[in-house]
Parts: sequence; structure tokens; C-alpha cells
Amino acid sequence: MAANDISIIHPRPSSIVAALYTLRDLNVDVAILHGPPGCSFKHARLLEEDGIHVVTTALDENGFVFGGRRELSSVLEKVNEMFHPKLIGVVGTCASMIIGEELHEPVMDADLDVPVIEVEVHAGYANNTKGVLLTLESALDIGVIDREEFERQKVLLEEATEVEKRHGAASKEYLAPSRGDLKYKVAQRIIELLKEGKKGLVIMNAKKETGYMFADINVAVHEVASRLGVSGNVVNMANLDESLGLPRVRDHARNIMHDLKEKGVQIHDITGGLDEYPIAGHVVDELIAKKYADHDFAVITGVPHAIPMDHISHMEIISVTNGPRQVVPLKEMGHRHVVVEIDLHPKTLGVNHIVESELGATLREMAKETLDCSA
Amino acid sequence: MGNQKRIAIYGKGGIGKSSTASNVAAACAEEGYKVMIIGCDPKSDSSITLLGGRRIPTILDLLRQGVKVTEEDIVFHGYRNVRCVEVGGPEPGIGCAGRGIIVAIKTLRDMCKEMDDMDLIIYDVPGDIVCGGFVAPIRKGLVNEAYVLTSGEYMPLYAANNICKGLRQIDTRLSGVICNSRSVTREEEIVRRFAEEIGSKLVAFIPKEQIVQDCERDGFSVIEKAPGSDIAHVYRDLARAIMSNSDSALPTSLDDERLRELTR
Ligand SMILES: Nc1ncnc2c1ncn2[C@@H]1O[C@H](COP(=O)(O)OP(=O)(O)OP(=O)(O)O)[C@@H](O)[C@H]1O
Ligand code: SF4
Ligand SMILES: [Mg+2]
Repeated sequence: MAANDISIIHPRPSSIVAALYTLRDLNVDVAILHGPPGCSFKHARLLEEDGIHVVTTALDENGFVFGGRRELSSVLEKVNEMFHPKLIGVVGTCASMIIGEELHEPVMDADLDVPVIEVEVHAGYANNTKGVLLTLESALDIGVIDREEFERQKVLLEEATEVEKRHGAASKEYLAPSRGDLKYKVAQRIIELLKEGKKGLVIMNAKKETGYMFADINVAVHEVASRLGVSGNVVNMANLDESLGLPRVRDHARNIMHDLKEKGVQIHDITGGLDEYPIAGHVVDELIAKKYADHDFAVITGVPHAIPMDHISHMEIISVTNGPRQVVPLKEMGHRHVVVEIDLHPKTLGVNHIVESELGATLREMAKETLDCSA
Repeated sequence: MGNQKRIAIYGKGGIGKSSTASNVAAACAEEGYKVMIIGCDPKSDSSITLLGGRRIPTILDLLRQGVKVTEEDIVFHGYRNVRCVEVGGPEPGIGCAGRGIIVAIKTLRDMCKEMDDMDLIIYDVPGDIVCGGFVAPIRKGLVNEAYVLTSGEYMPLYAANNICKGLRQIDTRLSGVICNSRSVTREEEIVRRFAEEIGSKLVAFIPKEQIVQDCERDGFSVIEKAPGSDIAHVYRDLARAIMSNSDSALPTSLDDERLRELTR
């Protein structure tokens, strides 16, 4: 018996939403939320940018009292006619789960020729990774993924939960959001370091599609270093293994690698797949210990708190996150500069090319200015 | 699942579900079956007479404390090794007891390996199926047979009839009707007629005997405390009937008019 962990009071990502994103990664064409019309509204909208339809059974007061079996089966029939899906996901919500709704019965009632992943989930789990796990379990049940992929993902999820507990959003009872350091100051510092001939690492450790924007920082630093004639001083690492993860995740890795190549950016070390951000940090750590211990600075993007401090604590660390609540923990870990790419995630949905980041844009602009002045 | 019995006993509040369940459990255990009783009532009084009057910690008590629950914490061995589990629930009037059952049943299923070995598992549910949570054991596929307990009086029959309506709605077959007597005239005949008309059968007639309550007051089942009594034999017969029963049917509820006629 172990008592519960700390009670965290800042709102955190929801398991329902985590289930929706996982369904997207499994390539469902439609996800049906069985619950109130407003539930997960913002993410439902964003996911439509990513090419899947998200609809709701819109349970109302009557639905809460009398249940929504008929509502769900009729929405199933409706989406089948409207969108001709090949794979459907049905997702529970707090409201439907509390009243004991069964997702399976309406699925049987609708009796479609389409496989349906049923996810009995609500938003009341301490870690939102639970939503991912529940989704993968049902996907395994109906044969959408195999046991091997399931076990692999399970390990990643457990590690992701640990990462958040150690230095992430679950590390403190309350974390105030912060905008981080000013981008022009940080960009200026990176340019300074490069100018001084310092040796640097640019490490992307991104979660899935967020890589479309974090990779831009590898590109921007490379561009600036090239203009300064010191591109040999910069080593790039990224979790862009194209052979790991669900098909959609592999596609992202392939797309990003393709763009990087086209822009002339060499990735010296691949540290894992795009869904391996919770464990790729250890690969980074080993690589640094072996090959790059003498470097002076490191720009770490994506999930910077998953990189152990063991062999980088002597370096000047600049980290780039998209979580405003991540600033304080990163500073406490010893990262000198922390930059927040606000609203990064929405900009990386529905794209298949690298998207410009604010820090990247700032770097490019400032490099232009400083170089033009000195020319 | 083979010949493994997973049953739930439904019936009007206070009609005798818990005493019937614990006596049947005790009788089956005596026959050498592996038996588990799972109390799904917030009152958590289903297993008390199998444990010499002792109250055990409930699954929800432990979950509320936020501790990691293990099998040993919630499965207790009672008379003749009957495994006793109580789901428990929130205080009356607070929170959501239905959700409590759903969560507790899931917790139990995830960690209790013994459940798979049991010859008989009895789910003892409270009298009124007030919401979705109270049929969770059925809907989660944990119950494969339902029994309805009633006396020959109008109100218990009315409740039994309603339960049949509900069972049909959730596609659950009824394995039989048990009459727990309240000493009404023509009682056995009334309940037998009722059973037949809904498309089922009467599997036992349990007389009303003071000794049931006397044993219960001391914290025992009749089987344990008064093994030689007449009513102990009735419970043993019922236990055998349940273990060998293979008939079941989707019940058809009667209209109220007919129900009144039956009891007149
Ligand atoms: N055959 C019987 N003869 C005499 N008393 C009985 C008999 N069956 C049950 N009782 C008594 O009736 C009372 C109610 O029984 P019990 O608690 O088993 O009902 P229940 O249906 O489980 O009630 P609830 O719906 O509240 O859970 C108890 O005091 C019990 O001892
Ligand atoms: S409480 Fe739960 S069901 Fe309601 S909107 Fe929030 S996440 Fe959705
Ligand atoms: Mg009872």
C-alpha cells in the first residue's frame, strides 16, 4: 500500500483529450465523444485541422438522467453515412462514465461494418497518460495494433508519467505559468556564443507533431552558424527515427527529416522515435558523455526536462518548451535560459512541413541585423 | 467459463436477498464448491453472517483512503472458506453510489485472480436498481444468470415484475424465481403462477422462520448455526438447484392488471 502522491492544484491535460489524440494517431476517421456538447471543445476543433472528424452525442440534462444509449447508436449511424469512415473511435466522458453508460451496447445496436475502438475514459485520472493507455488497450483488443507495439507504448507512457513527476507539470502542487525569457535576448546570446567560437549542441526531443516546429530551431541555429562560418561547431541531435511508432508518427519523422535534408541541416545523431521523448533523454545523455562532453552550450527543445542533467550541467543551457508551466521547473533544473513557444501545438496540427518558430524567426532576424551591421 | 456460475439475486428491498445469498453461499461451500460472495450494496451487509458477525473493510473504504488496494486487503475468507468481498459506498445522500460500484467492480476484476477459479460467485445487489451502476456487474459481463426473489405479496411481485422489465432491456436472461415467504395465503401458488407467466420457473419456496433472524442476530447463517433445521435443508436444496440449473429465458413482464389479479 502506498499513499497518494502530492495533490496538484493547477489544471492539467485531460485523459479524454489524450484519448482523442491517440485515436488520431491510430488513424481513426471519426471520433465520437459520448458526453456533454462542450466537453473537450477546443481540442475537438484542433483535431479537425488534423483531418479527423470529432463529433459529440451532446448529452443534456435528460441524457444524464436517462442515459444516452440511443443517442450514441444514432450518432454512430449518422457519421457512418456522412463520412464513410474506415475506423471509428468512441470516447467516454466524465458525465457518461459516472452514470454508468456502456459504450459497447450502442456500438452493437448500430451494428456497422466498421471497426470501432471503444474508450471508457473520463477526465478524472491524475495522469493524462491513462487516456492513452485505455485507448491503446481497446485498439489492441480489436486488433488495430499488435501486442508488441502496445508493450512498447506502455513502457513509454510509464516513463512519460515519471518524467512529468520528476521535473514536469506533475512535479509541484502548484506551478505558475510563465512566458519565460525574452526571445530577442536569448537569440542574441546564442549568436554571441556562436560568434565567440563556442561549441554547441542543438537537441530536439519533441513529442510527435510538435517536432514540426521544434525542428525549426535546429534549422535556424544552423543557418546562423553557417552565416558566421562556424557551422562545424554545432552538433544536431533529434528523435527522428523513421522506423519507430505508429504509422502517423513515422510519417511526421519522415517529413521533418526530408525538410531538414533539403535545408542542408545534418542530424548527427538520431536519438529515438518521435514518441520516444520520455526515454530518448537517456540516449542523449550517453552520447554527450561519450562524444560531446567538451561542448560549451546546449539548445534543448521539445521536452527538455526529459534530458538528464548528469553530463550537461557545466554547459550553458537554453531550453525551448511549449508549456508555460514548464518554465519554473526547467530553471530549477539549472537551465540558464528558458523560452516558451506559446501556442505551438495548434500550429503543428494538419501540417507536413517544418513550421517557423518564434525563436527561429527572431534568430534569423537578429543574425541579419548583426551581420549586416558588421559587414 | 464452463459450469462456473456467476449469479445476481434481485428483488424488492428487504425481501431477503442477502440472507438467501449467504445461506446459499454457505450451503454450496459445504458441498465443496469454491464460492465467492460480492456485496454490491453500500450497506455492506452481504457477508456479515459468513464472518461471524464481523464487518470487513470495503473496497471503496480503501480506495477513498487513496491506498493501493491488493487482493488480501479486500477478499476475506468466511465460513467454509467462502470468499467475502464488500464493495461499500459513500455515506447516504452524498456522492454517487452507482459510480462507486462501477469503480469497485473494476478494481476487483483487475486484481482478484481468484475470481476465475470460483465455481460460484454471487453478486448481492441492493433492492432498488436506481441507476446504471447497480447493473454494472451484469453489463460488464460478470454475471451470466439472474434470479429474482419475491414473496406472494403485491408490492414485492410488482418490484420483481419491474426487475424483469429491466433484465429484458439489458438483454439478461432470468434463471428462476425464488419465493421467500411472508406467510401469505396461497403464496407458493401465486409465485409459481407469476414465474410461469413471465416465462420462468419457481426454483424454491423458502418458508418464513424465526430461526433465520435469530442466527443472523448472532452473526451466522442458518447453515452454520442451525445446520439441522428444516430451513437449512431448504437452502441446501436451493443451492443444489442453482448449481445444476441450466435453463434460462428472457423474462416477459406482466401488465399491472394481471399482477393485481394474481394476488387477489
Ligand atoms: N425466510 C426468512 N424467514 C425469516 N426471516 C427472514 C427470511 N429471509 C429473510 N429474513 C429476514 O428479513 C430481513 C431482511 O432480509 P435481508 O437483509 O436479507 O433482505 P435484503 O433483500 O437483502 O434487503 P436489502 O434490499 O435492504 O438489501 C432480515 O432481518 C432477515 O433475517
Ligand atoms: S467535466 Fe468531464 S465531461 Fe464535463 S466537460 Fe469536463 S471533461 Fe468533459
Ligand atoms: Mg441486502
